[in-house]
Amino acid sequence: MPRITDLSSFNEAREAGLAKLLPPTPRIAIGMGTCGTGNGAEAVLQSFSDAINQRGLSIALARTGCFGFCAAEPLVNVWLPGKPLVILQRVQPNDTAAILDDLTAGRIPAGLALCRIDEWDHITGHVKYGSGFPEIPLWNEIPFFKGQKKIVLRNCGLIDPTDIEEFLAVGGYQALYKALIDANPASIVESIKAAKLRGRGGAGFQTGSKWEFLSKAKADRKYLICNADEGDPGAYMNRNEIESDPHSLIEGMIIGGYVTGASHGIVYVRAEYPLAVHRLETAIHQAEEWGLLGDNILGRGFNFRLQLIEGAGAFVCGEETALIRSLEGKAGRPTPRPPYPADSGLFGQPTNINNVETWYNVAPIVVKGPAWFTETGSPKSPGTKVFSLVGKVVNTGLVEMPLGTPLKTFVYDVGGGTANDRAVKAVQTGGPSGGCIPQEMFDTPVDYETLAQLGSIMGSGGMVVMDEDNCMVDVARYFIEFTHSESCGKCIPCRVGLDKSLHYLNRITQGKGTEADLATLDELGRMIRDTSLCGLGQTAPNPVLTTMRHFRHEFEDHIRASRCRAGVCEDLALSPCENSCPLHMNIPRFLQLLKEDRLEDAFVSVVMDNPLPASTGRVCQHPCDDRCRRSGIDSAVNMREVHRHIADSIYPSPRFPDLVARLSALRKPSTGLRCAVVGAGPTGLACAFYLRMLGHDVMVYDSNPNAGGMLRYALPDYRLPKEVLDREVELIKLIGVDFTFNTRVPADISLNELDQRYNAVFLAIGTWKENWVYLPGTELTGVIPALPFLESVSKRETVPLGKRVIVIGGGNAAIDSARTALRLGSGVTILYRRERKDMPAIPEETEAAEAEGAKIAFLASPHRIVGSPDGRVTAIEAVKTRLGEYDSSGRRRPIPTDEIVRFNCDTVILAVGETVDIDFAKASGLKISDRGLIEVDRYSLETSRSKFYAGGDLITGASNVSGAMGLGKKAARNIDKRLTGLKRWRDLFPKFEYDQAAPAHPSDSRRHHVRELEAEDRARTFSEATVGLTSVEAMEESCRCLRCDVRTGDH
Amino acid sequence: MNNKISIRIDGELIPATPGASLLETALAHGKFIPSLCHMKGLSSVGACRLCLVEVAGVNRLLPACTTPVQDGMSVTTQSDKLRRYRKITLELLFAERNHVCAVCVSNSHCDLQSLAQRLGVTSVRYPYTFPKVPVDLTHKKFALDQNRCILCTRCVRVCAEVEGAHVWAVSSRGVGSRLVCELNRAWADSRY
Repeated sequence: MPRITDLSSFNEAREAGLAKLLPPTPRIAIGMGTCGTGNGAEAVLQSFSDAINQRGLSIALARTGCFGFCAAEPLVNVWLPGKPLVILQRVQPNDTAAILDDLTAGRIPAGLALCRIDEWDHITGHVKYGSGFPEIPLWNEIPFFKGQKKIVLRNCGLIDPTDIEEFLAVGGYQALYKALIDANPASIVESIKAAKLRGRGGAGFQTGSKWEFLSKAKADRKYLICNADEGDPGAYMNRNEIESDPHSLIEGMIIGGYVTGASHGIVYVRAEYPLAVHRLETAIHQAEEWGLLGDNILGRGFNFRLQLIEGAGAFVCGEETALIRSLEGKAGRPTPRPPYPADSGLFGQPTNINNVETWYNVAPIVVKGPAWFTETGSPKSPGTKVFSLVGKVVNTGLVEMPLGTPLKTFVYDVGGGTANDRAVKAVQTGGPSGGCIPQEMFDTPVDYETLAQLGSIMGSGGMVVMDEDNCMVDVARYFIEFTHSESCGKCIPCRVGLDKSLHYLNRITQGKGTEADLATLDELGRMIRDTSLCGLGQTAPNPVLTTMRHFRHEFEDHIRASRCRAGVCEDLALSPCENSCPLHMNIPRFLQLLKEDRLEDAFVSVVMDNPLPASTGRVCQHPCDDRCRRSGIDSAVNMREVHRHIADSIYPSPRFPDLVARLSALRKPSTGLRCAVVGAGPTGLACAFYLRMLGHDVMVYDSNPNAGGMLRYALPDYRLPKEVLDREVELIKLIGVDFTFNTRVPADISLNELDQRYNAVFLAIGTWKENWVYLPGTELTGVIPALPFLESVSKRETVPLGKRVIVIGGGNAAIDSARTALRLGSGVTILYRRERKDMPAIPEETEAAEAEGAKIAFLASPHRIVGSPDGRVTAIEAVKTRLGEYDSSGRRRPIPTDEIVRFNCDTVILAVGETVDIDFAKASGLKISDRGLIEVDRYSLETSRSKFYAGGDLITGASNVSGAMGLGKKAARNIDKRLTGLKRWRDLFPKFEYDQAAPAHPSDSRRHHVRELEAEDRARTFSEATVGLTSVEAMEESCRCLRCDVRTGDH
Repeated sequence: MNNKISIRIDGELIPATPGASLLETALAHGKFIPSLCHMKGLSSVGACRLCLVEVAGVNRLLPACTTPVQDGMSVTTQSDKLRRYRKITLELLFAERNHVCAVCVSNSHCDLQSLAQRLGVTSVRYPYTFPKVPVDLTHKKFALDQNRCILCTRCVRVCAEVEGAHVWAVSSRGVGSRLVCELNRAWADSRY
C-alpha cells in the first residue's frame, strides 16, 4: 500500500484515481446509497456485471454514492471516453442489456437519460468529462438541480465512496496537505471565522469561535466529535453524505484536529445507518493505511486518531452534552452548561462537537478561502445547506441550496409542486424541533434568523412539504408524540409538560377538545420552551406553537365544529367521502342500502342528507371521488352517479307520493316559528328544506318566477334538464315550504320588514354579478357577459349570437357558455390565460366541450377587442403568456410576452367570474368583508345583524352547488338551535339498520361511468348529454364500496 | 482568587464568592429561591427547573443552582413569569404521579407540599395521569414507593456521592422514567 509522504506519492495516487474515473473504456457507475439500494440498485449492478462478463465487454463497472435525486432512483452514471458523463434515471435490471448495446455502439440510451455533466467542479479539484450529446439537458438545467450549488455534496454520486484513490483524484486530502504544509493553524481558525461558517446541526453557532475556544483550552488531550446522530423524522442528509463521500468528513476532522490541537476524533453515528457505518469504517481504515490518519500524517509529524462509535438510538443524544454522556458509557441525558464542552467535555477533557455537514465545509474553505465561501448564501448565513426535501412534492431528494433561498423555490421549482394538484399548505422545517410555515409565507428566505423569527428553526435540514391532505393539528400531535417519547425525563417541563401537551392534542384530534385547551397548550408550550434543560425540550413545543399561530382555524374547526377538513383525524369523520362532502352525506349508508336492495330507504337516506340529490347527482364537483380509498385499488366509487340513480328511480315513479308521506312523517311538530329565506337557489332551498323539516314555517323569496336559482338560470339544459329540477322543487313544496316569487329584496320587501315578520332570516342570493374585464373594446356590440347569456338561453329567449364566438375564462361558466354557444350553431374558441391543469372547471366538462368541437387557446390573455366602424366586434387580440413565478395560489403566474395572436370573431362572452351584487350588500346594512362579501361568523353563519344569517356564494364568493348547499344546511342547524335553544339536529335524521361489515374481498367490478351521447349528436341539442347508470350498474357501484365507515374496534 | 465580588439579587447588593453558584449565594444571604433537586453537599443537576431566575443581559432563564456568580451580575428571582412557570412546574409534578397528601407518611414534612403552599398552588389544572407504578417492599427496613417519587435524584446522588455505593439510578426515559435499584433489581437483592 503506497503510504503518502510527499507530493510525488500524493500525485501518483491521484493519477491512479483519475485513471479509474476516466478510464480508456466506457464506465458505468451505479448509485448505491441506501436510497438507490432500496430502489433495486443491487439487482441493476448484478445484471450489468453478469452481462459484461458474459459478453466479455471492456467496460469499467463501479459503485458510487447518491447524486441526490431520490425520486428518480436508481441512478446510473454512464461515460464514454471524450463524452460528457450522463446520468440515467429509474434504471431497472431489464434495461441493462439495451444500455450495454447502446454504449458499445457509442450511443447513450436516450429514453433513460436524466441529464449530462460536461465537467464538474469538485471545489478542491476539477474533472473534465468531455463534450457532446447536446440533446440531453445539462444537470443544472433540469428543474430539480437548477439553483443547487453543490459544495457539501461536491463528490456525492460521482466517485466511489469505498475507493480512496478516486477521492484523491477529485482533490481529496488536498486541503489537509495544504494545512500541514502551511503549518499555520491559527490562520485556518481565522479563515473559518471569516467564512462565518455556522453549525449545520441547527443551532447555527459560529464554528470558528468554537474552534478558537478549543484551541485555546489547555489540556493533555482534547477531543473532536462529529455528531452524526441524525434522528429527525424525514431527514437523511448526514446519512447520504457519509455513505457517498466518507473521506471528506475524515479530512475535515483531521484539519479540525490539527488546528485545535486535538489528537482524538470520534464520529458518533446512529446505529440505524449500517451502510454509513460500514463505508466510514472502510474509509478510516484506508486513510490510516495511506498515511493520512494515525501517526505522522503525511510525514508532517501530526498525529490524529479517529474512532467510530455507534449510537444506541436515543434522539436526545443528538444534544451535545447527552451525546458526550453516551460516549462515556452513561445514560444519554443532557447536563447543564456551564461547564461547556470546550472546558470540560468528554471524560472531563476539552471537547468540540460539530455536525457532519459542518465538517464537509472545512476543506473547501481551506482550499478556496473565506471570501469565496461568503460569495454564496446570505450575509449572516453564508454558504449552502443540504435539505432533505420530502412530503407532498413531485421531486423528492437531497437538495443543496445557497442559504437565503426563498421557500417557494424549494417547493415549486426544485420540488415541482404537488403531484396531485392539491394545494400546498405548509412546509415543516427542522423536524420535531421545528415549526410549520404556511404557504402565504413562502417568500421567506431560508436562513437561521428568518426561520427563527417565524417560530421554526433550520434544524439539521429536514423539509417536509404538506398539502390539503395534511391536518395541522395531527402534525402537531405527531411531533409532540415523538418528542414526548424521546424526552430523556430528566427535567420536569419536558418530561411532564410534553406528556400533558400530548394529552390535550389527542383530545382535540378526537373532537373532545375545548377552547380552554388551546390557551392551556399555548401557556404550557411557552413554559416548556423557556424552562427546559436542553435543546430538545426548548424546541419541542415549536410544532404546536407555530401551528396554533398559523393554522388556528384548523384547531378551531376540530374543537367547535368537530371537523377535520383534511380527513386525517379518524374520530371526526365517518369515512373519507363523508368528510369531503360539503353536505356530509352518509355515502356508505346509501350505497349499502342500495346494495341490500332497499331503494326506498336509500332514497330517504339520500334526500335527508341532500335535498337536491338528482341535480347535484349531475352537476356536483364530486370531491368524494378524490378521497375514495377504492382508488388505491382501481378507481373511486362513482358515488355521485349512484345518488343520481337513486333519485332518478324515485322522483318520476309511482312510489313518489308514498315517499313524500314518509318524509312528511319525519317532520317535527310545528313550532309556530317563522323563517324567511331570501333566494331560491340551491343554498336557500337546502336551508328551507331543513327548517321546514324542523317544524318551522318557511317562506322563500326570489326575484325570479321559479325556484332553482343558478341551477335553473345558469346551468344549461343539457347538464341539468329543467324537469329534473322541477320534481325536486316539488318535493320541497310538498313538505310545506312556501314560495313568493318575483319579489326582490330589499326593493320589494326591506330587511326591516323581514325582521318584523320573521323570527329568523336566511340570506342566500348568490353571486349574480358578472365580473367585468377592463380591456379596450368591451363597449362594442357583441361583447356579452356569461351569466345573462346563460340565463337568457335557459329562459328560451332569443340571443343574438354570431357564428364565431370567443369565450374568455376557464371556469364552469366559461365551459357552459361555450357548450351552449355550440348548441346554438356557433363555432367556439375559449381563451384561458393559464394552463389546462389550472382550469377551475370540472375536467370532464372541459373534455366534453372539446369533443363537441370547442377549441381552447391556453396561455392566452385577452389584450383588446377590435371593432368595426359601426361598433361591432370583429376580432380579439390576445397576448401569449408564459408561466412565471408561483403566486400565492400555488399556480404559476402568467407573464405576458411580446407575441400577440388575433382571433376573428363576432361575439365575445366574458366568463371571468361572478361576485356579489355590491348594491345589495350595501343596501342590506350588513357588515361587508374586504372582498365585498357578507361577513358571517365562520361557525354559526350569523351576520352582523342579529336574527340574520347568510350562506352560499354570498359569503364565499362564487363557488359550487354542493358547497353552497352545505352552508344552507349548516345555517338551518344553527338557526334552529338559536330559535329553540335545543340541540335537536341529530334527532331529525332517521336511523337505519344495515349491514356493518366490510366486504371480505373487494368486488371485481370496475368503475361505471355515465354514458355520454356521441359528441356530434349531443352538440346539436339541449337534451341531456349523459345517460345515468342502469340499476345493475348502480348496484355494482354500491358493491365496489370498501366500507371505510365500518369500525372494527380493533384499532 | 480574591473574595471581593458582588452581585445584585432583586436589587439588593450581595457579596459573593467566585465559583459559588447563584443559588448557594442567595440562600446564604437569606434570599429564597425555590428548588427541589438541589441539596447542600451534592452536585447540582439543574433538573427541577424551579430555581430558574432572570439575569440581566441574558435573554433566557438560568438555573440558579448551576449558574456560577459573576461580578456585577444582576439577578431577578421573582417576576410574574417566574411565578407562573414555577406554579406550572409544581402542578405538573402533582399531576404526574399519585400524590395524596392526606394518606401520605410525609404529610406536613414534605418539600413538595410546603413549596406548593409557599408558591400558592391550591389546585392542579392538568389532568392527573394516575399511573400504575410499583412499590418495592422487599427490603427489611425500607420501602420504595414510586407513587411519591418526583425524580429529584437526591437519593441517587447521596448514594453515589456521599455513600459511594451507587445503588440507585434512573432507568427508561420521559414519563416512563423510574428510579431503579442497581440494574432494576428488588431492593432486597442489593448487597447494600
